[in-house]
Amino acid sequence: MKETPVLSLRGIRKAYGDFELGPLDLRVEPGYVVAVVGPNGGGKSTLMRMLMGLIQPDSGEMSIFGGAYPDDEVAIKQRIGYVPERPVGHDEMSANSLGEFVSRFYPRWEHRAYEEHLERARIGPDRRFGELSRGVQRRLSFALALSTGAELLLLDEPTAGVDPFARREMIEDISRFVRGGTPAGGRTVVFATQVMEEVRRLADYVAFLVDGSLLGLYEKDALLEGWKIFWVDGEPEDDVPGVVEVEGGSPARMVSDSPRATAKALAARHIPIVCGGAMDLEEILSHLMRRSREQSVGGRRSRT
Amino acid sequence: MSPEPTRPRIPLHLSMDDPEPMYRQIESQLRAFILSGVLEPGTRLPSMRALAGDLSCSIITTRRAYEDLEAEGFILTRQGVGTVVAEMPEEKLTAHRRRVVAGAMGEAVRAGRRAGLTEGELRDILEEALQREATNVHQGGAL
Repeated sequence: MKETPVLSLRGIRKAYGDFELGPLDLRVEPGYVVAVVGPNGGGKSTLMRMLMGLIQPDSGEMSIFGGAYPDDEVAIKQRIGYVPERPVGHDEMSANSLGEFVSRFYPRWEHRAYEEHLERARIGPDRRFGELSRGVQRRLSFALALSTGAELLLLDEPTAGVDPFARREMIEDISRFVRGGTPAGGRTVVFATQVMEEVRRLADYVAFLVDGSLLGLYEKDALLEGWKIFWVDGEPEDDVPGVVEVEGGSPARMVSDSPRATAKALAARHIPIVCGGAMDLEEILSHLMRRSREQSVGGRRSRT
Repeated sequence: MSPEPTRPRIPLHLSMDDPEPMYRQIESQLRAFILSGVLEPGTRLPSMRALAGDLSCSIITTRRAYEDLEAEGFILTRQGVGTVVAEMPEEKLTAHRRRVVAGAMGEAVRAGRRAGLTEGELRDILEEALQREATNVHQGGAL
């Protein structure tokens, strides 16, 4: 099945002073949820803004829904609901007038949905954006993006500063958006986040952006299944296949990136496994990051 | 937001500590529900996306599980209806149920070997278990 990808980036580069993003290669098919994660200054927001055509890459090819900026800008953007990291020029506008303003760009704008989102977030229609707390501002931006009738949501840390209860509702809103897709018209979400709970709950793929480079577009479940912790009795040996880190102690804690090979080797050496289990996504990603930084000798400096 | 139509939910559970991959866990739990008749033929299953959302796994995992179960004849996907539990011939169901029991017995035999029991002792244990269950059923103690 060769559909037109929602996003396709090939060899995309962008330099800012001593920060360089790319070269990025990324392809996202319709119907998937991609979480963009990585340390601050790694290029997440730069990538998101580039996908919205707000920043032009220095080189490389980028197509969105098969079109390209600037020629197809209007057609592309009518299909994207965007939550920027920092909305520009919203401060003086009320929730109502923001809705009216944004609706002009979106032929499929859903006014009723917008009202419902505001109601649920307890945002009065006359409240000015600038007088809302950071968390409530995020919810308002999110409500705008969700009401556009878009097929693609580009969300740049949509829940930053949002309280855990509201965050739960937003996660549910995103799942509902994705479920609303049909086999013929999948709905796609690309969201940047620092919150692993959101990645765990929502993502199919994890795009891991570190120091301006994409370490990989990982299948989330494959990552979780591919890394395990083994607690073993006795003196830990450091040459067990698959084991990438050992913490001594009794029992000793081993981190493996090939659990099957590790389990087999431990059994062959008659080393009893006290217990074993899953690893946090954070810890897996930290290992991947460390590995990549060790490999790139004198790696590029990141923007802070 | 238009109100969502009610969607089927199934009590599946994923354990991240289980060495079985997630799609296999989904497969074996759904298979067990179908074989035991909890999910009858024609029962509508959640969409792959909805199930992924409920289980916090990716749609890649749920798709893999549904594709395998469809290939085994347990479920089928109909255009416009979604995925439903398939009608299966009785002999196929029986064979599957037997296989599940045979697997459990095999596990019990291996546990016995590890405990150093002889074949005769294992037979005795099976015999005792059968008698105990028979008594329980008689007294209405078991289901």
